Amino acid sequence: MLRVATLGGLGAALVIAAGPGGAQQPPQIPTFDVGGVPPRFAIPECITKRGDEASVKVCKTITEVLRNDLRFEGLFQFVPESLFSAIAALQFDAPKFDDWRGIGTKILVTLRAEVVPDSQTKKDQITLEAKVYFADSGQTMLARQYSGPADNPRVFAHQASDDIMTLTQYRGVARSKIAFVSDRTATKERRSKEIYIVDYDGYNVRQVTVNGSLNILPAWSPDGRQLAYTSYRQPPPGVYISAPYAMKNYRLTGAGSQAFGPAWSPDGRRVAYAANTGGNMEIFVAGSDGSGARKVTTSSASEAAPCWSPTGNEIAFTSDRGGTPQIYVMDAEGLNVRRLTTVGNWNDAPSWNPSKQYSEIAYTARLESGGFDIAIIDLATRQVRQITQGRGSCESPSWAPSGRHLVFSCNRGGRWQLAVADREGRTFQFLSATGSGSNVQPDWGS
Amino acid sequence: MSRHRILAVVILAALAFACGPKRPPNLASATPGEGGSEGAGPRYEDTSGSRPDTGPGINPLEGSGLREVEFPDATDVTTEGGPLDDVYFEYDQYDLTDATRAVLGKHAEWLRARPVAKVMVEGHCDERGTVEYNLALGDKRARAVREHLVSLGIPEGRLSAISLGKERPKDPGHDEAAWAKNRRAHFAVSR
Repeated sequence: MLRVATLGGLGAALVIAAGPGGAQQPPQIPTFDVGGVPPRFAIPECITKRGDEASVKVCKTITEVLRNDLRFEGLFQFVPESLFSAIAALQFDAPKFDDWRGIGTKILVTLRAEVVPDSQTKKDQITLEAKVYFADSGQTMLARQYSGPADNPRVFAHQASDDIMTLTQYRGVARSKIAFVSDRTATKERRSKEIYIVDYDGYNVRQVTVNGSLNILPAWSPDGRQLAYTSYRQPPPGVYISAPYAMKNYRLTGAGSQAFGPAWSPDGRRVAYAANTGGNMEIFVAGSDGSGARKVTTSSASEAAPCWSPTGNEIAFTSDRGGTPQIYVMDAEGLNVRRLTTVGNWNDAPSWNPSKQYSEIAYTARLESGGFDIAIIDLATRQVRQITQGRGSCESPSWAPSGRHLVFSCNRGGRWQLAVADREGRTFQFLSATGSGSNVQPDWGS
Repeated sequence: MSRHRILAVVILAALAFACGPKRPPNLASATPGEGGSEGAGPRYEDTSGSRPDTGPGINPLEGSGLREVEFPDATDVTTEGGPLDDVYFEYDQYDLTDATRAVLGKHAEWLRARPVAKVMVEGHCDERGTVEYNLALGDKRARAVREHLVSLGIPEGRLSAISLGKERPKDPGHDEAAWAKNRRAHFAVSR
């Protein structure tokens, strides 16, 4: 478990710029998106007190990961690391701000880490101190100390990154988790697909289900405490929910009909899914305890892939009622159904941007003949922008909790891999650290 | 019920690394291994406008190799083999061809001769197209087959229909020959 404390010695003063009364708003780091000059960060190599090998190694990892985390957010500029050599050795508590300003630094992040054995547990512990300064004034914006088991140094950097992001108007995603489906444990005899979870950057993969059957279409609950997914382990396939904190795991949907593709309402109280109770697939909404299941669509076509609006008042879904699969939107009670997508003859798997700042839905689209791509439709203007192009076939988009990035799965050279892009489609990267197998159907949790 | 109880315990153990609030607890209350307790610690002492607690998520510091363990009674869909031959479909179609109807006629005969046999009809698709759409398409295929068997006099209670979408192709290839084999209904027979 990661422990956090404010840095000793600073007391209340470490709180960002809180004046004597403490009532002032902390200054924010201006970012690209608010029209400010994007601040130039300098993140010099983390230093250790003792210089022992273990601490140096951990320091290196933490520096690298924190730089990557903040770069990923896409809101800042960075002073090239090659310029750091011009500056005298970093003093953690008293950096020479003149020097840092001299190479164009606006925000200076200093890091100090140690690996020490914990007297109680006998296990190695990491202690990380992180400070964030305005280089212009030397003012401390943030000072934190983190300590915890040394098993995974990356999480220290992730936590520091998310804490630094609290100085902006945006939510950081470094500690968020992606759930996905992989066939990596499948054998010729048992062609299983299991649910896995992984850090947002593709590291730290963990297998969640191990039942050897098909487990697909995972969905995080909004609070990141539960996972809903579709499993075939007790036919007919149904929606299951793992709630480890409450010591519960249960089948949400009845044994009498098959059900697929769960989606949590933003308040976590309801789950929408597609089910066939006789006739054709329709969208249902039930309480997250399985109570009060209610059919909310009625058509002679197939409805699938429900997702909720950030307010919880609307549901987007796919229907082929118009002859081809297209995205529709309705009130959560099933009224007022209207077709959203009109371009292309195959649009599926909607994912509604969770940030109220961006009114848009990402989905899988066949815009050109053949392959599928990730597209986003602006709900106000109905304009469609294509996020992937020439990446092979891509599908199953899911928004980061910040609403500024998407994860999806692309078929590269016959193998499906997770990939992330920003909402403008400017950046694209495969999460290659996720490892072997076909990795599909990602869901980005909080 | 006991099955779920066993599973619940197992999952708790499995996700014991899912520990503590995502907003990390403070020094005083944090002890490794108190996994699963969602009130594992107070918030920051610091009041620098941190965002509200968004819940714990999975704490990657806890444990390793932890996961659900095998269900004692977990089963897998069969998807291949069995006494009744698969029937096949055209691309993106779920209507039954004459050839398919002929095969289903024989299946109905077989089933009439074995009145206790139950069949789960599985609808499968080729890999082209989206996951969700193919689950719906597989459902239509399974249901079309089931309805036809019912029309041939097989009692509804002996026939169920499920979709596997594109999740379990019979042929792992990526060409028309493979796709043609994968657009099918399979018959999982229990006696």
